[in-house]
Amino acid sequence: MEGRPADDSVLIARAVRGDSAAYEEIVKRYQQVAFRTAYVITGSAADAEDAAQEGFVKAYRALDRFRLDADFRPWLLRIMANEARNRVRSSGRRHRLELRLSEGFRPGDAAPSPEAVAVAMDERRRLLAMVNELGDDDRMVIASRYFLELSGEETAAALGIAEGTVKSRLSRALARLRARVEETANA
Amino acid sequence: MPDLEQQLTGLARAIDWPATPQIRVSFPAGEVLSLPARRGGSGWGRVLALAAAAAILIVATLLAYTPTRDVIAGWLNLHTTIHQEQHPPTPSPRPPGQLGSNLGLGTAVTLEEAQGQVSWKIAVPSALGRPDAVYLKLPPSGPSQGEVTLVYGHSPGINVSGQTGVAVLVTEARGAINENYFQKMIGPESTIQQVSVGGHPGYWIAGHPHDFVFTDANGNFQDDALRLATNTLIFDRSGTLVRIEGDMTKAQALQIAGSI
Repeated sequence: MEGRPADDSVLIARAVRGDSAAYEEIVKRYQQVAFRTAYVITGSAADAEDAAQEGFVKAYRALDRFRLDADFRPWLLRIMANEARNRVRSSGRRHRLELRLSEGFRPGDAAPSPEAVAVAMDERRRLLAMVNELGDDDRMVIASRYFLELSGEETAAALGIAEGTVKSRLSRALARLRARVEETANA
Repeated sequence: MPDLEQQLTGLARAIDWPATPQIRVSFPAGEVLSLPARRGGSGWGRVLALAAAAAILIVATLLAYTPTRDVIAGWLNLHTTIHQEQHPPTPSPRPPGQLGSNLGLGTAVTLEEAQGQVSWKIAVPSALGRPDAVYLKLPPSGPSQGEVTLVYGHSPGINVSGQTGVAVLVTEARGAINENYFQKMIGPESTIQQVSVGGHPGYWIAGHPHDFVFTDANGNFQDDALRLATNTLIFDRSGTLVRIEGDMTKAQALQIAGSI
């Protein structure tokens, strides 16, 4: 149907046949989540850009191995995350991921008062600061699931762990974050 | 106070991510880029795969490789230099050229040449004898210390692939099995079983696995293909990962592995 985005599998089949426009469409479709996933792992925008760039090249070269009946996004994110991890490993350092709140963001409540906006922003800022203070594993699993909004399967692919481990790791990360939130509230 | 998970979900829209760069996937002029023919999947995926393979075969037959290379190389202008091999698409019943040349295994070499390029002693299973072809893949397209593949066109009791003309592949590289990936990579139609090969830990994967992730000698993740998409035995031979692929039973694979 005209105007309707093509399914991933259609684009992939076309890309495998050598249709460059099809692969460019795939890149366009996934470059944001690929870059942000790499950013969560490397903590550096420059490294994430390099990882995403190289990841898309590798994904293209591996397209023949992708099963068309499988989900493309987890497959792609696994390649991106491998690239990002390889970059962290080869550079010998991981930049500490520091997520920030967008200054332009406003809570979605209808016509909130300036005071309510300020309170909501402050709450969000404090919560994000607590997420930033968590250990690497906790921070990455929370960022993947809640901020990147990856599925369990995609998070597993991005973090290089089994899907069952995602659940247990997320549960522990939330427990630690909850403890910090309560500790701060009681202080 | 809203539930913590709800608050975190609410934060998703408020994160100030770095601006997503324009990713341009392209290849330098003169770069040969080609994709090997897709192997079959299931259901409509298989239909698409077969259609793709047929299209590649027709295009390749009509154009040979040079115009295709020119067209593809003209795509874009990449920052990354990649070493790639050309794989003729879907030869049937037996590919032209050297055995295994369509599998993207690297450069064809002699066993002695391969041995001169890698740090470990290449293990040749006596049950299979001297390989019909040997391929070497070095960085950047291969693992950090290289990868050697022994190709066998015949082995008693093992079917030869009609698509590739290959009966057995034995692939070796320095590295370690990344167990975290096994469950995800194998796919629902395959089963995995822990085995021991002469005291070395390994896995028998039955079904049709296509991919395999391991960490190479430098600790980098290597996303590698299981070329024949048949049963596979993988084991860690004192830091060298050995993969034996072919349309064989577990007993046959263990016998081959045991003869190393």
